[in-house]
Amino acid sequence: MTILMVALKYLRGRFVASALTSLSVALGVSLVVASVLLSRGIQQGFIEGTTDYSLLVGAKGSPTQLVLNVVFRMDVPTPNISYSTYGQLRDDPRVEVAVPVAMGDAYQGYRYVATTGGYFAAFPWRRKTFAISEGRFFRDDPPEQPMYEAMLGADAARLTGLRVGDRFHEGEEMAEYPMTVVGILRSTNSADDRAIFFSLASYWEMNEVSRKMKVKPLTAVLVRPKRMSDLAGLHRGVNVTAETQAVFPSAVLLNIFNVLRLVDAVIAIILAFVVLVVLLYLFVSMYSATLERKREIATMRALGARRATILGIVLLESCALAVIGGAFGIAGGHGVAYLGASMLAGRGGPVANLFAVGALEPVVFGSVVALGALAGLLPAVLAYRTEVAENLAPLS
Amino acid sequence: MRHCRRVWAFERVRTTLAASLCLACANFGLAAYGQLTYAEEVPRLTFAQLVDSIRANFEVTQTMKSYNGKEVEIHGFIIPAGPPDLSFFLLSRVSAMGNYCCEVPVGQDETVYVYAPKGVKILYDPLRVYKVRGAFEAGPYTDRIYGVSLFRVRNARVEEAVGAKIFKVGETPAPTPSK
Repeated sequence: MTILMVALKYLRGRFVASALTSLSVALGVSLVVASVLLSRGIQQGFIEGTTDYSLLVGAKGSPTQLVLNVVFRMDVPTPNISYSTYGQLRDDPRVEVAVPVAMGDAYQGYRYVATTGGYFAAFPWRRKTFAISEGRFFRDDPPEQPMYEAMLGADAARLTGLRVGDRFHEGEEMAEYPMTVVGILRSTNSADDRAIFFSLASYWEMNEVSRKMKVKPLTAVLVRPKRMSDLAGLHRGVNVTAETQAVFPSAVLLNIFNVLRLVDAVIAIILAFVVLVVLLYLFVSMYSATLERKREIATMRALGARRATILGIVLLESCALAVIGGAFGIAGGHGVAYLGASMLAGRGGPVANLFAVGALEPVVFGSVVALGALAGLLPAVLAYRTEVAENLAPLS
Repeated sequence: MRHCRRVWAFERVRTTLAASLCLACANFGLAAYGQLTYAEEVPRLTFAQLVDSIRANFEVTQTMKSYNGKEVEIHGFIIPAGPPDLSFFLLSRVSAMGNYCCEVPVGQDETVYVYAPKGVKILYDPLRVYKVRGAFEAGPYTDRIYGVSLFRVRNARVEEAVGAKIFKVGETPAPTPSK
């Protein structure tokens, strides 16, 4: 019988205690794995879901609010800017493309995004491509003849149940201006999947305030310069005015990542305590098991087992508990991360590449086994030093 | 006999520990020396040198072109013009964030296009100077995604430019390249 088999027999011998110890290890590992996967997934979600446009121009205020609302459909829209701002940017010789966007109401929580066909245009520098899965794109209708045509993102269509040809509106005030679904987009794995797009003319006409305005309002303008080196000049030019601000979407996201890093640091401290508690639990479990088994160990020694063999059995037992707990913990951590990501996605949160192959799993598994061996070291030394004569004395 | 064996075991552990310590020290020393040598060998280019190197027809001097493909170091402000993983960004003489500061760079001459294929993990601060190292390229080039550029750094590594040198009165602030 090998020492591995003896160790496994010992584990089976105190099944409930072993199962509970493995469960505690698994729970600790799950917590660590799920935290790392979700943190990484959220950051990756922001990176993949960001816009291909280098500059975002909106009203003075919070750059974070502007980017979260216009790019990720979170938060509330920033105040309006004048349509003339779009005209100036469009006509600027340094600008290759400028796309106007107006944000506001929503249907069943899916945000309305009024824009032009330029929003969906393909360029060599664009990573994101838009394709229709059903119907067609909405028309860029003239301001005096709004068509009220709507195009739905993939998730918005699926979750609202709207199909091509359906008419919809939300709220009594909008009943006079029902929208007609003319197309459904393929999934882009971005916040655009959860948006309802239509023309600026339709949007201006269905809102009382903009209907009365001579110079129509916008929420933001997405800008791509002809030369990247002109970005700084464009950025400064917009920012020195009293009404508008220009932001680099990536700069805002990097600031958000800086905050996330602080949160990650706090989580890491908490997780370190969790690991310590699990380690202590494993140690206490192995220590008490060794104390209970002193007589058995003395018998084995009396029958010719060497000290090193006894040490090996206890260490293997501890490692086996860590291996079982580690394996279930990694699997459980992925399950928890999947559930967390689904919940976040349901609320419009960006999460991506949750289960990308990386060094996380092997590193966590190796660390758990090493910590298991560490927790079993002292009980193993205790077993190693068990005196035969003392422990084989009659119990009475 | 038992005592002798214990002493022998203790000696063996002590010898192993001492050897490991010596190896670790040697390794650390070599790494530190290597970094020092590396830091000395990499020439630093300044934005003033980049501007001075530009000639008519958007060309750059042969001196500047002689750095092509070589590892250089450039200090500047990061403008995150590409994705937020900083796999591409602009390095500028002036921060784009200050609305009162000096004149903003207006052209290709004062902007370096930096490519870091694996992304960059730094604590981003738009008002902080960063040290960028990588393979330098000078001369007009058109990238499919980021368009025309004059100066580029590829396979870049980025870190904060901490401990900026303090110049005494009369000293030249612009560092000269080693070559």
